[in-house]
Amino acid sequence: MRSGKEEAVRKVLLENYERYYRLAFSYVHQEADAMDIVQEGAYRAMLKADTLRDEAFAGTWVYRIMINEAKEYLRKSRRESVEIDENLMAAGEHYRDLDLHDAIGRLPEQEKTLIILRYFEDKQLSEIAEILEENLSTIKSRLYRTLGKLREELSVSA
Amino acid sequence: MKEYGNMEERLSRGREDYEKIPVPEEMRAKLEAGIDRALAEKEEMRMADREKRISENRKKQNMEKKNRGKITGFRIAVAVAAAAAMVVILPNTGADVAHAMGSIPVVGKLFQAVTFRDYQYESDRFDADVEVPQIVVGESEKEAGEQEGTGTKHNAAADQSGGAVSDELQQTVEQINFDIEKVTDQLINEFQELADAGESYGSLEIHHEIVTDNEAYFTLKLFIYQGAGSGYQRYKIYTVDKKTGKQVQIGDLFAEGSDYNGVLSENIRDQMRAQMAEDENKVYWVDYEDVPEWNFERLKEDQNFYFDEAGNLVIVFDEYEVAPGYMGALEFTVERAVFEEMLK
Repeated sequence: MRSGKEEAVRKVLLENYERYYRLAFSYVHQEADAMDIVQEGAYRAMLKADTLRDEAFAGTWVYRIMINEAKEYLRKSRRESVEIDENLMAAGEHYRDLDLHDAIGRLPEQEKTLIILRYFEDKQLSEIAEILEENLSTIKSRLYRTLGKLREELSVSA
Repeated sequence: MKEYGNMEERLSRGREDYEKIPVPEEMRAKLEAGIDRALAEKEEMRMADREKRISENRKKQNMEKKNRGKITGFRIAVAVAAAAAMVVILPNTGADVAHAMGSIPVVGKLFQAVTFRDYQYESDRFDADVEVPQIVVGESEKEAGEQEGTGTKHNAAADQSGGAVSDELQQTVEQINFDIEKVTDQLINEFQELADAGESYGSLEIHHEIVTDNEAYFTLKLFIYQGAGSGYQRYKIYTVDKKTGKQVQIGDLFAEGSDYNGVLSENIRDQMRAQMAEDENKVYWVDYEDVPEWNFERLKEDQNFYFDEAGNLVIVFDEYEVAPGYMGALEFTVERAVFEEMLK
């Protein structure tokens, strides 16, 4: 007798939690912190599930909640720059292309999110626009600008 | 740059690495804990809400009992016995009663709601508190008294004028009782099936209240709550016009050609806007630009409504009808002055 929206959100959470974890991890670079973010995001999504008008948007809606949760987490912790650098070193073994990884890590949150969603999560631009609640042309121009920035960074470091 | 290949290739390798980020085993349990915490909190809020409603309901029922003091114990016993025997309307309410009441035979009849079925269930995860009412119509004491004093010479004429309306009333009441029984039977069966299966959890609540009982109208309001974690609240409201013996829909109240729907809807939209401006926690679907099709536009043909004691019109919306779910079921009172001129 649980509501349809609650069921839809729950299903989305259970199916995609590993994705949310990786997304959160690329923000905070800490297992425990990333898990906290996903747990808190799941809690918030379930609590607010009834405000979702259309079950079809559950997927993008939960992404949005998780991203906001991660940003909120970074804002609260106020120790981003120091810890991220340390953790980048520690986490280095996962990444074959460290220059790329570092360059992405140095991007502002907004641009980093865009690269992750487009290239690592393989989301369509229209979907990204929905998740980030921006219009499509804004997303497009921001993505091209960000790619240009990455290219420049990488040619300097190479 | 060469050693890594071009940008696209580097990003696609980056993706492979990204997908290899190991997800700790505890992640799933933590996720489920987050989900469960939200569900438990919602359940708690609901229980607190429910307790409040029950105590309010009790207060109202006590008031009703006081007001009903005039009715003799005998009469209540008759009504309850009738309901228990599944006779949903007192026999002989047609001709016998009609003659005593002259040209407007329905007015003055005693309308009551009696509990027809009582369904209670309680286990660890399931609870039901259901009282299914039926409407019972009998003679009022006043008319019963007059009846004794009335000579038989009036009978024939009154039977003709009054009989038709009483038949109409009888049909209406039977129809309403049938509808109540159908709706509640289905809900109880669904609940019972879930409880028997024992999976998940659930609750069911059905209560009723007589919201109007004046010379013109009798209105029975049925409150239905069905839920688990987050539930669904709604109402079924039945109004009988005592003069015609017919069930009334909102459109029946107003003169033909009047724009009652436009006027009432606009009034309700204004109330929504005012409440939202005053309290940021309140959200109604009005002027909602992102998704204009959710906006509340007009009342439905079978919109739930009733008259309050002052004769104002109360419009009742089910959960989700005009606002997000957390706002619950909603009522808006429209002052009589707003619509009085348009009444039939």
